[in-house]
Formats: sequence, structure tokens, C-alpha cells
Amino acid sequence: MRLLLIEDNTLLRNAVGQYLREAGFIVDTAATGDEGLWAATENPYDAILLDLMLPNVDGMEILRRLRAKGNPVHILVISARDGLEDRLEALDAGADDYLVKPFPLSEALARVRALVRRRYAKKSPVMQVADILLDPIRRTVHRGDRAIELTALEYRMLEYLFHRAGEVVSRTDIWERVFEDGSGGSSNTLDVYIGYLRKKLNAEGEPDLIHTRRGQGYILEESPP
Amino acid sequence: MNAPSIRRGLLIRCGIGVGVLLCMLSASTYLMVRHGLYKELDKSIAQTASLLSNQVELENGRITFEWQEGLGTNHALIEDGLFQYWEENTGKTTRSPGLQVRDLPKFCGPDGAPQLMDIQLPDRRRHARAIGMRVYPFVLPAEMERMKEQGRILDPKTFPHVLVVARDTKPVHHVLTRLRWILGTGTLLTLGIGFALIERAVHVSLRPINLLTQQVRDRTGRQLDSALDLPGELPSELAGLAKNFDLLLARVAETRRRERDFIRHAAHELRTPIAGLQAATDLALSKPRESAAYVGHLETCRKTAHELGELVKRLTALARIDQVPVSASLESIDLASVLMDCLQRFLPVFEQRGLKIPAISGQAPLWAIGDRALVRIVFNNLLDNAASHAEPGSEVAIRFLRSGDKAEVSVSNPAKDMGGDLERLFEPLFRRESSRHDAESHLGIGLTLSLDAAHAMAGSLTAGMTEDGWIEFALGLPLAAES
Repeated sequence: MRLLLIEDNTLLRNAVGQYLREAGFIVDTAATGDEGLWAATENPYDAILLDLMLPNVDGMEILRRLRAKGNPVHILVISARDGLEDRLEALDAGADDYLVKPFPLSEALARVRALVRRRYAKKSPVMQVADILLDPIRRTVHRGDRAIELTALEYRMLEYLFHRAGEVVSRTDIWERVFEDGSGGSSNTLDVYIGYLRKKLNAEGEPDLIHTRRGQGYILEESPP
Repeated sequence: MNAPSIRRGLLIRCGIGVGVLLCMLSASTYLMVRHGLYKELDKSIAQTASLLSNQVELENGRITFEWQEGLGTNHALIEDGLFQYWEENTGKTTRSPGLQVRDLPKFCGPDGAPQLMDIQLPDRRRHARAIGMRVYPFVLPAEMERMKEQGRILDPKTFPHVLVVARDTKPVHHVLTRLRWILGTGTLLTLGIGFALIERAVHVSLRPINLLTQQVRDRTGRQLDSALDLPGELPSELAGLAKNFDLLLARVAETRRRERDFIRHAAHELRTPIAGLQAATDLALSKPRESAAYVGHLETCRKTAHELGELVKRLTALARIDQVPVSASLESIDLASVLMDCLQRFLPVFEQRGLKIPAISGQAPLWAIGDRALVRIVFNNLLDNAASHAEPGSEVAIRFLRSGDKAEVSVSNPAKDMGGDLERLFEPLFRRESSRHDAESHLGIGLTLSLDAAHAMAGSLTAGMTEDGWIEFALGLPLAAES
């Protein structure tokens, strides 16, 4: 899952960014309003954490411009403004959630997770496809009674496929959401990681749930159509 | 010690006024009636005396009294009257039946003229009004003819009599006593009713004051600075007071609004570094880390704590704005040299941001009356703002100007149009929403403090946009003679 954090306070930006990265997200950061607006416009994000008081372009303006362009990205506003009017103004301008500074990082993470679930129309935090269970909070994967150990990148890849279970996910989407640099690497790299994932998931000869669609991408589902 | 209440004061003053007025009126009435009664009494006595003076007749060489013969007199007057004659030649006296054997005091005016007196009646218990006069007997024409025939003519003037007529004053006293009682009772009643009416009038008159008092008294904590709910028709005497009170409340409301704004701004300013601090500690504790990582987090926290301390210092300074007037030690100073001195500090920053200072316009030195320390505060703030907010690579212009009796130094740089925000630049904690970078060093109080400093030196500090899109801050101070 790829997030964008737009915050001008260096300390807060670094701390929140690192915390979310350690929680398994890919986090891009921007220190000014214009940088953030550019990043949000050019890249697909699963959620944006947006401060309101920013240099150059303020957060409310970013909100309005993104919504005016029809950008559906979920936005969590993080602001020192705690007034009801401020919250209403931000939510009415298109924010999906509002978090007043200071806040515990765990709360910010929980809200981001909730936004991501909403992004992919998931209600339950625990996702299941066939006999595979993925728990984003504990960051665990089980197939039946078997716990599966995944690397951070493998986990991100599987989590993204879980979020979009039942639909074909393009290779570009996977690159953008799962890999740090977001720029499309060699297709072989992606195939290699998919291969690692299949190997770990199907360790005891279980049926493969990640299916390749030639020229389209991959689909995670119980049985091939 | 509390002054007497208006209500009580009005009641006492009006009561005393009405009381005195009523007493004077009653006394005047009493005296007038008394005077009238006695006047009538005197007139009546005089008339009686006039009648009785014609009752003495010289007949056959002797004095006779017609009233004794029942001729030409009022019987009631004779029987109840108190009068007495004295024949002055012989001392013989004749009394009215009412006197029986007792005598009235004998008196008359000089040369027998009528004289009125207050006397005591012979019974020693009653008082009376009396008139004493000298009378002479009259002689009938027939008697005169007869004396002529007899050749013995008697002159009536040789038979002078003193007549004293008295009238008991008891009825008059009785009337006056009743009058006194009526007037006294009437005065008291009128005074009582007057008090009640005055009290009612005062109560009605003071109702608007009571209404205002109640409104002020019943205010809750949240209504302390809201305007009074005044009745539509407030008496003119109170309208001014209420209006001024409302103006005072408006000032209180403005002060409270500024306090709320200050607290809101302060909370706002504190939240972001606190959020950073909390995030840094949350991150450090979120999972076990290497010692070096903890050291890094602690360093970050220490830096943030230091910034928070600086922030609190600035907030404290801000809280003092408007509370203690800045005092200035005025002297003749060269603004140009002070500015150049301040500028040295900022040259590295200017260089770092690629800011250029074109040739300074205006003539140096520029002497003005000011406080060197306060002028440095203002210049440092203006240069700091220019160094922070001017677009990298742009210019910062400095200008010295003599204008009338004012010395002016301006610092300007290209800037986006501030619009309505220009007027708010000097407000405490004001910062444009999109310009919070470098927040640690720009809290939004520098211009406020600078304005205070300029005012303390009887000077001015203004901000304006030039036609070519530069923002210009100008410090104006009284011009001093060059030294």
C-alpha cells in the first residue's frame, strides 16, 4: 500500500513516515504544499495524510484541487486546528477523516488502515481467500493451520492482492503500490517475487490461488474462472 | 461606606420638602383664618360699641341709658353682652346684665379714642377681646328746647363716659382649635399619602435602574461580555450610561476574543512540535531497536524540547504585549549606521538564499530621535522577515528618506499580493496560512513587538505594497538635528 504524507514539520514527517513504513506501507513524503499536490496528482496512492498549514499551497487548497479533478484518493487530514468549524470545513472539502495533533502514531496507523480498507471496500480487518487468512494488524498470514513467513515486500504484494481479490491486478499497479521506487522494474523481477510468494503459499501442494493472466496481470481467487 | 440609596434619598428629600410645604401652608392658613376671625370679632365689637355709645342720653339733667329702658336696642345683645359704662365725673358705673356685679377693666385710648385690647374676664377664667372708648351722651332736640326754656343748658361734653365692650373669645378659640386639629390631621394625612405617592413614583422611576441591575446581576459566566438586553424606551438619563456600559462590554468582549485567539494560537503553535515529540517517542517505543536508534530518537526529542522551550518563551513575550508599555530611552541616533550594523548579522542568510541588496538609496547618516535598542529590535525583525520570506534569488531593497520632520527607513522585497492580509500583519500571531515554513523562528509576534517599539519612540511602522509588487515596511521616527 502506498501512502503520501504531506507535512512541513520535519520531526513529525520523519517520525510518522518511519512508523508507517515499519507498519508495512510505502510512504512518500512532501514538505511543502506544491510538492505534495504534485505527488498526489502524479502518483496513485491508497491514502494521503495531509497537514493543513503548509507553505506555498495550504492543505485545504490541495484538498479542493484534488477533489475538483475527481481524484478519489482517501485523505486523512492531520492538523493542529481542533475547532469544529475547521473539522467541518475539511470534511466538507473532501477529507475522509480528520486527526487533531498531537496524536498517537498507533491511532494514525489505525485510521490509515481503515481508509485503505474503505478504499478497497473491505469491512473486516482480517481478509480471507479460500483457506488463506491475512491479518493486516498483526501482519500475519496463515494457510489452514500453517503460519506463513513472508518478507516485507512479499507481504505487501500479497496484501495488495488480497485487497483486490477477485479482480485482475495489472503489473503496473503492483509495481506502484508494492515497490519502494514505484517505477516499473523489469517484469522478470515481479515474476520472481510472485514465484516466491506462490512457493511459500503452496508449500504442501495446496492449490495455487494466484493466477497469471497473460498480458493483463495477476488475480487472486479460489478457483480459476 | 455606602452612600444612601437613591430611593431613600429621594424619599427623605421629597418627604421633607412636602412636609415643610404642608406645614407652611397649614400655618399660613391658620394665621390667615385667625387673623380673619379676630378681625371680624373686632369689627363686631366695634359695631356693638358704636351701638352702645348711642345708648347714653342726657335727659332732665341726668344720664339715662336707653338700653335699660328697652328702647332701640337688640335685646339679645343687651342680655348676653359684656359692656360697662363709667361716668367719669362721678365714677358711677353701669354694667350690662351679663356682667352682674363684676367689673370689666376700664380703659380707652388717648383722648378717649377707641382702643382694642385682650382682656381677662372678671371670672378670671375666660379671655375676651374688648374695646374701650370715651362716649358722650346725646341730647334730644325736645330736651334741648326744654333746657333753653328753663335757661339751664347743659353741655353733653361735660358728662364724659368710658364705655368698655367685651366679647368672649372662646368661640373663636374653639374654631381655631378645631382648625388646628383639621390642619394638623390634614397635614399628616397629606404627608402620608404624599409619601406613598412619592415612593410609588420613585419606585416607577427607578425601575429601569433595577432592570439594568438585574440584567447585570443575572449574567452567567458565558454572558459576561454580551451586550445588555435593554428595554425599548430607556430613560434618557440611563440611555447614556447603558450605552457606555455596552461599549465597555464590547471592549471586554474584544479583549476576551483576543485572549481566546491568543490561547487558540498558543495551543495551535504548541500542538505541532508536541505532535512531533509524541510521534518520535511513539516511534522509538513501537518496537525494540538498536541503542544507536534510541540515541537518535532521544536527540530528536531533545531538539524538539528545546524548540518547545523557545516557543514558550515567545508565547510568554506575546502575553506581555499590551500589558506593559514599552519604555524608550530616547536619544539622537543615526538610523543608517544602526541598520548597517544589524544587516551584518543577516548577510550570511541573504547569501545562502541568493538574496541581493542593490545600492541603498537615500543619504546617510540619517539622524532621528529614538531608542537604539528598540530600533535594533525593529530592524532585526524587518531584515529577518525579508531574509526568510523573500523569494530565493530576488532582491531586498533598503531606503533612507527624510520626509518633513520625519526620518524614514524602509525594507522591501518582491512578494505576492497580500490583499486584505496586509492590515493584519501587525496582529499578534498572525501568519498567512500558507507560510508556516520555518515556523520555529517565525511565530508571528515580531511585527507586533516592532510596532509597540515604534510607538514607544513616538514613531510609526507601516506596511504597504508598491505598484511593482514589492512589500515595503517603513519605520518612521522624528528627525533629529545632525550631530
